[in-house]
Formats: sequence, structure tokens, C-alpha cells
Amino acid sequence: MMLSRAARPALRAGVAAASARPATLSTPNAATYATLREIEGRLKSIRNIEKITKTMKIVASTKLTRAQKAMTESRSYGQTSNAVFENAETKALEGEDKKTLIVICSSDKGLCGGIHSGMSRRTRALLAESPNTDLVVIGEKCKAQLGRSNGKNMQLSFAGIGKDVPTFADAAAIADQITLLPTDYSSIQIMYNKFLNAQSYEPVIVEAFSEEAIKESANFAAFEIDDEILPSLREYALANALYWGLAEGHACEQSARRNAMDNASKNAGDMINKFQILFNRTRQAVITGELVEIITGAAASEEG
Amino acid sequence: MAFAWKAAGLTYNRYVSVASRVVRRSLKEDKRIAAERRGESDLRFAKWENGKQGENKNLNAANESAIAEQASQ
Repeated sequence: MMLSRAARPALRAGVAAASARPATLSTPNAATYATLREIEGRLKSIRNIEKITKTMKIVASTKLTRAQKAMTESRSYGQTSNAVFENAETKALEGEDKKTLIVICSSDKGLCGGIHSGMSRRTRALLAESPNTDLVVIGEKCKAQLGRSNGKNMQLSFAGIGKDVPTFADAAAIADQITLLPTDYSSIQIMYNKFLNAQSYEPVIVEAFSEEAIKESANFAAFEIDDEILPSLREYALANALYWGLAEGHACEQSARRNAMDNASKNAGDMINKFQILFNRTRQAVITGELVEIITGAAASEEG
Repeated sequence: MAFAWKAAGLTYNRYVSVASRVVRRSLKEDKRIAAERRGESDLRFAKWENGKQGENKNLNAANESAIAEQASQ
């Protein structure tokens, strides 16, 4: 999309130059050869861009298979952990004085369509509802977007994610750092892009509950959990949920990048076709012009 | 039920990661290399105060120093 939009004025300039050519027929050689060469140069650069986007698409496709595998594996982590809270019927504590923390799972890399800004937009909508919410952002992209508009709410930001498939060690380290935060949050919401299918994603939220919320849950007695193990369970549940979110977000990102690069290659192909036709026509016009000149010249000299 | 690692200031996640590192290291050579890649984590983080980003720090080093701090208390 972006590539085609950026290059479109150039296309128009090319067309304009071609149509303006008969007007500057007094110096035909200088004008036509310049436009021909211009079109050739532009064609070459678009071909290069197409090559690059195609390669990026192939890279993203290869990474996508691995990312999807990691996603399906990580789902079992998150769902098993969630099953405990579902059976215990845990609910987030309702209280005015307690703060909420939103953890946003984005990544460091761009060139993958609007999946990062989709999450930023959702976060901003949530913040507009309850401004007293803190943010933890994983990944440079959302950090840059949210740091500008909601810098006051930011507590922590993490970078270095998204180079490879996220590991559980990543999630555990992030979870530890979040538990070290001084404020006591009533609920921690983890936002990530849910992988609906290869074309669509949507930012969704999973909850990681606080110790009190787990203790208050309706069916808590079903599990024989000692008070001392409770913080451990909470930390581990947070790490599980984070791992799930990171892995699924990663898969979405790769898939979005694949699509974005696919579209970019397609657009580049379209442009190459258009420029090729323009190039051929211009060349033909130059040749015809030259022929006309030679013939008229010859005819004039014969008569004389 | 008191745990020794809890008394030493480790979090459960830290405890699990140490345990999993030991298991990974005791695997056979060919399996070990693949498994150890799953335990890698190289993240940086920054604390934000009043809308300003703080210094970028290595996450694992910060976690270790936090644990050491808690243990000494």
C-alpha cells in the first residue's frame, strides 16, 4: 500500500512528461531520451523493490510456520492455566481504589500492517474509559506510539522481543519484573493480537488475577491451595498468560507481515506492467518521430 | 510449608527457570543445543516516570540484582 502510494506521483509525472512531449517537439531528442531514461530508471528501482518485498515475504512465510507451531503449543499453557480459574470461578475484584495494569504484547519490528497500531488504538480507548490505568508495554512499536500519547501511564517498557519466537524464559522474566512493581494491582490485563485466521486479527484481553481475587473466587475450595503457594500460583499464571500472549502476537505479526509483503509485491508487479507499457510506447514514439524526420529530410533533399 | 528458594528471595518463575536450565543442560548433546535455545532470553527494559523513559537495562541482570536485594533483607 505505502509503496504504491509513495510512487504514484512519480507515475503521474511520467505520464505527464509523455503527454507533454509533442509540445516540446522543437528539441525532441533531449526531451524524449530523458523521459525514456527516467522511465527505465524508475522501472529498475521498482523491480528492486519487488525483489526485496518478495524476499521478505518468503522469510515471513518460513517464520510463520514456526510461529504458528509455537502458538499452538503456547495455547495449552494459557488454557490450562485459565482452566484453573474457570473452575474456581475467579472474577476480577471490583473496587474503586484498586488500579488496573494493562500489559501490551507488541514487538520491535514494523513493516507488518496495522497490527501494532490496532493494539495502541484499543489501549487508548480503554484509557479514555479509565484514565487511572497503568501500562506495561512489550516491544518498541507500541512503546513509541503509546509513549507519545500516554507517557504518564507508562510504568515499564520491554525491548528485544520479536527477533525470534518468544521463549518461556522471556515471559517468566517479564512476569517477574511486573510483580516487582511497587503498586498493587487488582487485575492485570494482558492484551495481545488474537489469531483469528491468516487474514484477520483482533486485540483481545486475558486477565491475570491478583492474589485476593483468586482467594475470593467462588469455587476456590475445590483446589487445595495453601496460602503460601498462592503467590507462586499467581506469578506462574501471569507468566503463562504472558507467554501465550507473546507467542500468539508473534504469529499474528508474522502472518500480517507476510500479507503486507504479498500486497507490496503485487502492487510493485502492477506498477512494473504499467511502466513497461509506458516505456514501450514512448520508445515507439521516439522511433516513429525519428523515421518521420529522416523521410521528410530525404524527400526534401530529393526535391531540391 | 516453607520453601528454601522462597526464603532466598527467588520468585516461582525464577525457580522454574533455574530448574529448567538444569534439566536442559543435562540432556544429550544433540538434543541439548535445540533445547537450550528455548531457554534464551535477551530482553532490555526501561522504567518510566512521569512520562519519561528511564535508562535501558538488561532484564535478566536487573532481575538477579532484585533477587539479591530481597534475599539480603
